[in-house]
Amino acid sequence: MTQGVLSRGLWVLLIATLLTAPWLLPLIGDAFWLSILTEILIWSCFAASINFLLGYVGLLSFGQALYFGFGMYGVALGLTALGLGFWPSFFLGLVASALMALVTGIFAVRLTWHYFAIITVVFSLIFYFIALTIKPITGGDDGINFSAPEIFRLGDFTITFANPIDQYFFVLLVVVLCFVIVKIIVASPYGRSLIAIRDNDTRAALIGLNVYRLRLSAFVISGLLAGVSGSLFALFGRYASASYMFYHVSGEGVVWAIVGGVGTLMGPFVGTSLFVLIREIISSHWQHHALIVGAFAILVVIYAPKGIVGFWNDRMARKLSVGRK
Amino acid sequence: MSSTIAVLAINGLVFGLIIALIALGLSIIFGLLDVINLSHGDFFMIGTVIAYTVITSTGLFWPAFILAPLIGLILGALIHLMVIKPLKNAAALTIVATFGLSMIIQEVVRMTFGAAPKRLMPPIEGTFNLFGVDYEIYRIFAAVASVVAIGAFFVFLKKTKLGTWMRAVRHDRDTATALGIPTQKVFMITFGLGFAMAAMGGVVAAPITTVDFRTGVDILPFCFMAVIIGGLGNLPGTAAAAVLLAFMEGVISGFADPTVARICSLVLMSMVLLFRPQGLFKGLTK
Repeated sequence: MTQGVLSRGLWVLLIATLLTAPWLLPLIGDAFWLSILTEILIWSCFAASINFLLGYVGLLSFGQALYFGFGMYGVALGLTALGLGFWPSFFLGLVASALMALVTGIFAVRLTWHYFAIITVVFSLIFYFIALTIKPITGGDDGINFSAPEIFRLGDFTITFANPIDQYFFVLLVVVLCFVIVKIIVASPYGRSLIAIRDNDTRAALIGLNVYRLRLSAFVISGLLAGVSGSLFALFGRYASASYMFYHVSGEGVVWAIVGGVGTLMGPFVGTSLFVLIREIISSHWQHHALIVGAFAILVVIYAPKGIVGFWNDRMARKLSVGRK
Repeated sequence: MSSTIAVLAINGLVFGLIIALIALGLSIIFGLLDVINLSHGDFFMIGTVIAYTVITSTGLFWPAFILAPLIGLILGALIHLMVIKPLKNAAALTIVATFGLSMIIQEVVRMTFGAAPKRLMPPIEGTFNLFGVDYEIYRIFAAVASVVAIGAFFVFLKKTKLGTWMRAVRHDRDTATALGIPTQKVFMITFGLGFAMAAMGGVVAAPITTVDFRTGVDILPFCFMAVIIGGLGNLPGTAAAAVLLAFMEGVISGFADPTVARICSLVLMSMVLLFRPQGLFKGLTK
C-alpha cells in the first residue's frame, strides 16, 4: 500500500514539476536550467530507444547514434537544402531514421547478442564515415546551421523554437507522447510477444511467434524513437553534425539507459537526468567531470545491476512483502 | 605512382602488425572472460603516454618497453579485481563498466599529461631508400618488435603452464575449474596480459602516431574489426585479419581518401558478421 502511495506521489510531483518548470526554474536559479531540462527530455527519448530494445526485446544496440543522426540531418536538410517548412522537415527526420532502421535492421536482427551489438556499431560507423566524406551535403564535422523555425502561426499568434518556453513545451509534448506510446506498446499483446522473445527466443518461435519479423519491427520502433530525439535535438541546437553519429554518442545512451534501469519505463529518464545534471553542475566548478561520470557508471553497475529504477522497485517490493508479513 | 602504393602498402603492414598486437589483447579478454572491453584503446593510449614520459624524462626509449607492459599488467589485474569480477561477466554491464573506465582513464591522462597532442621523435633516426622513397628505419623496427611480441605471446600460450591453463579455461570454463585450475586467477592474469599487450602496442606505435589522450577512441574500432574478421576468440585469425585490414586500407588509400578505405573495411566486416560469423580464418583455430 505504502508503495502505491509513494510512487503515485512521485508521479504527481514529477508531472507538476515538468508542467510548471518554465516558471519554477527562474525562481530557483538561472533561466538556462530550462534549456538543460529540455536537453534532458530529448536525450531521455534517445535512452528510451536503447531501453526499448534491450529491456523488452533483449537486443543491445550500440549504433542508435545512426538513427539519431538521420533524424538530425532529416530536419536540417529539410529546413535548409530542401527549403521545407517545420512540419514537413520534422516528418522527414522521422521517416529518414525509420527507413534507415528498416534497411539496417533487415540485416542486423538476423544476429543476436555480441554480434548484434557489434554489427549495429559497424553500421553506424559506416554512415558516420560516409557523412564525413560527403561534406557538401552534410557539412562533415562542422555540420549545418539553420535558424529556429516556427512551429505554428495564426495571425499574430506564433509558437516558435526561438522562444525557450514554446520550445520546452513542444519537446515535452513529443517526448511524453513517445513514453506513453512505449508504455502502450509494452502492455499490448505485441509487447508481450517481444518480452517472450527476450526471455527465450526458441520457446517464442515454438509457440508460433515470427521472431525475425517481431525483432525487426521493434528495431524500427527503436530507430524511430532515436530519430525523434535526433530531430528534436537538431531543432533545439539549430544544427546537425556528423559528430553526433559517432559511436560515443550511442555508448553514452547505453550507459544512461542501463544506469537508469533497463526494462523500466522511467529508467531512461532517470539515468539521463542524473548524468546531464552531474555534467552541468560539476562542469561549471571542475573541468574534469568525466571522472565522476565514469566512476558513477561503474559504481551503479556493481552495486545496483538493475539500475537505479530497478533498485528502487526492488526495495519497494521488499518493503511491501515485509509489511504484509 | 606504383612506388607510392607500395610504400602505403608497407605502411599498412607495419601498422597492421602493431594493431595485431593490441587486438590479440582484446581477443584474449573477449575469448576468456566474455567481456567486450571498450577501454582497450585507452590502454594503447597509456602505452604511448608512458613512452613519451620515459623518453622525455630519461632520454632513453628502451625502458618504456619494460615499464609499459608492467604497468598494463598491474593495472589490468587491479581493474579486473575491482570492476570486472564483481560484475560476474554480465555482458551488458561490463560494456557500461568498461565505457566508464575509458572515460576515467582519458580524463586522468588529460589532467596529468595535458590535452595538447604531442609528437615523439623516433628513437632510431634515419631513413633508407624504399622504392625511391625515403622510408623511416624506425617503422621497420616497429614491425619487427610487434612480430617478436606476438611470437612471444604465442610461445607463452603454447609452452608455459599458465598459457595452457588459459587455453583450458577458454575451451571449457567449468571443466577447467573442476580439474583444479584457479579460474579466477587465470581471469585476472588474462585481463592484465590483455592490457599489457595494448600498452606494449602503444609504446611501439608512439613515435609513429601522435601522443594524445583521445587516440584510444580511434584505435578501438580498428581492433574490433580485426577481432571480428579474424573470428571471435580465434587468436591467429585476429593477427592475420589485423595485417590484412591495414594492408588493404593502405593500398586503397593510395587511390582514394583514407575515409573511403575505412568504409571498405567496415563493409567487409559487416559481410563477415552476416555471412561468416565464425570469421574468415576458421582454419587457423587448430
